[in-house]
Amino acid sequence: MDSKITEVSQMFDRFQASFMRKDYDTCDRLLSQLKVLLTEFKSLPPLFQETPNNIRELTLARHIYEYAVILSVKIEDQDAFERDFFQLKPYYTDARSRLPPSAEEYPILGLNLLRLLVQNRIAEFHTELELLPPNALENPCIKHAVELEQSFMEGAYNCVLSARQTVPHETYVYFMDLLAKTVRDEIAGCSEKTYDSLSIKDARQMLLFSSDQELSEYIKEERTEWEIKNGFVFFQRSKESTPCKEIPSLQLINQTLSYARELERIV
Amino acid sequence: MTQDVEMHEQHPAPSNSYSSDSLSTLQHLKDIAALIETGAFSREVRRVVRAVRWTIQLRKKLNDSVLSAFLNYVLVPGSEVNSRLSSYITKDDEHDMEVDSATSANQAPAKHSLPEIEIYCYLLVLIFLLDKKRYAEAKACSSASIARLKNLNRRTVDVLASRLYFYYSLSYELTGDLAEIRGNLLSFHRTATLRHDELGQETLLNLLLRNYLHYNLYDQAEKLRSKAPRFEAHSNQQFCRYLFYLGKIRTIQLEYTDAKESLLQAARKAPRSAFGFRIQCNKWAVIVRLLLGEIPERTVFMQKGMEKALRPYFELTNAVRIGDLGLFKTVAEKFASTFSSDRTNNLIVRLRHNVIRTGLRNISISYSKISLTDVAKKLSLDSPNPVADAESIVSKAIRDGAIEATLDHANGWMVSKETGDIYSTNEPQIAFNSRITFCLNMHNEAVRTLRFPPNSHKEKESAEKRRERHQQEQELAKHIAEEDEDEF
Repeated sequence: MDSKITEVSQMFDRFQASFMRKDYDTCDRLLSQLKVLLTEFKSLPPLFQETPNNIRELTLARHIYEYAVILSVKIEDQDAFERDFFQLKPYYTDARSRLPPSAEEYPILGLNLLRLLVQNRIAEFHTELELLPPNALENPCIKHAVELEQSFMEGAYNCVLSARQTVPHETYVYFMDLLAKTVRDEIAGCSEKTYDSLSIKDARQMLLFSSDQELSEYIKEERTEWEIKNGFVFFQRSKESTPCKEIPSLQLINQTLSYARELERIV
Repeated sequence: MTQDVEMHEQHPAPSNSYSSDSLSTLQHLKDIAALIETGAFSREVRRVVRAVRWTIQLRKKLNDSVLSAFLNYVLVPGSEVNSRLSSYITKDDEHDMEVDSATSANQAPAKHSLPEIEIYCYLLVLIFLLDKKRYAEAKACSSASIARLKNLNRRTVDVLASRLYFYYSLSYELTGDLAEIRGNLLSFHRTATLRHDELGQETLLNLLLRNYLHYNLYDQAEKLRSKAPRFEAHSNQQFCRYLFYLGKIRTIQLEYTDAKESLLQAARKAPRSAFGFRIQCNKWAVIVRLLLGEIPERTVFMQKGMEKALRPYFELTNAVRIGDLGLFKTVAEKFASTFSSDRTNNLIVRLRHNVIRTGLRNISISYSKISLTDVAKKLSLDSPNPVADAESIVSKAIRDGAIEATLDHANGWMVSKETGDIYSTNEPQIAFNSRITFCLNMHNEAVRTLRFPPNSHKEKESAEKRRERHQQEQELAKHIAEEDEDEF
């Protein structure tokens, strides 16, 4: 057993070294080898057998998966993130009593919450939130994600964007960038309903473009109903507010006939 | 009728120095045992159901001596079962002797070794231990009974078995070890499904959901619930529980309309005396309705017996209705302990968004034009940049259709639109249509569920009750006739 552990820890050290060097391809390769080796250990989930070295094995495995999660963020692979996170989760929940708490636990949990928020899986976001113990909400990483979700729901998008400056962990930057894109779409959608027109300068500021050129490209590609005239952006809302003068006769006829039919059925 | 006659023919109670109360309890227990036997021999489940119902009525009167006497009566003394069960009951020696002599003098008790009787004894002892709060012993007893149950496969035992599962889970919950039995409950559920034991399936599904929800494992609970076979509910209480758990799961998953339906139905169907359960249902229902944006009426909080428990939720509703964030925060902090013990803390946090919306709606109705700085001040948004926040919040609210207004970015105003005459649009027709279809649907469903009154299934109406009912009907008919006469 010990030999296996030493083999794994040696490979893990090599993995960490290439991670520091930012050599992500080697990391990936080593990671797959590590995962295969980990299947030899019987003390890991789902078996959880009691072997003499199980604390060491569990800690080592947990460490490996934590690094795997962070690696997936660096190579920007969201599916790999999800897979590795699910493998990591039993170490936090079921093995909690056996192992000393990990320093990376809360940042990784917060990262997962952020990922769910970016992918707009709000129901799963809340389900995961329920699983956390009540004092977890004090932790800055978790609090950051929760407040972000709240601001997103309320519509205070500038809060969301300013939160990008206050990330508690440098791995969060990737998701915050993705979130910024979603936020921009949302702001554009809201603005077209709210404003009659906006000056180019204001529009550019709100949508977070750094130049007028980008703004006009965005409008041409995504928002074709908008018009740029005289330094103002017009949102083309004039056509929808004329009240319809005609009575939807077919619908009314259908409804009245169904009433008559049902009433006849009443004895 | 024949059933009742049989009971009264039983042996008269032997006279001894017992208090008559415990003696009649013992007599009742013997009657119940006889009923179970007949049910087992004739394979009629409803007799066993009735026996269980009688037992529940007797619950309060059980004590050690009665139980040990009963055990000696029905079980072969010295058998493994008897000794195991008797070890849970502290024996009271002198009474024991008397009863033994009395009973052996009176009848030649046929020592029945029916499995139903055995399981029934386990159930009785378990209920007794739980009522006396001897939880560790109850745990041991229930585990022993479950082990015994594994070998049995008879329909008549199913009713008793489902009760046993319930108390098994309860005893583990009261000692805080729910996670241990999850695997067992799952395997029992599998067995019950294989044997088409529908009552057992229902009970076990509810117990499993309760287990998962106890540990906040909403994801797993939903997976189980969606895959488990569903059928017509056999027991009203189990159905209520199922609806409550379903409502909780849906709330967490943000499907508020479904959740509201389930929770309100559970609260309505629950028996009137189940106060604790109805209070919980009402608490969750109030929160779901607030999250949906509707304010529950005051009468919901004033229901008899529930006023004190619902008080925190009443104040919360008030804060949401006024739309004042400051008040909302104070209320949330004041009752934080209640909310965390009800596990509704996270839901309360979600309500902040609703408070802001309501406040915004009030402002938009009252002002035709208002500056954004004033909006931010009124909403008491505490953030580093309130005006920009207010602007984006207002624009999102406009997009979601919560308020009718436009923003003027250059001047920093919000201009409310005139609410036109709504009767000139199609809105009233649409609203009427939905209500009419609802009423007609309800009528059709009611007609579909009309049934002939069940005759031998429930307790028979004794002669007096029938007379009473006839009398009432006649009075009612007379009353209606008189009313009609008055009209003309």
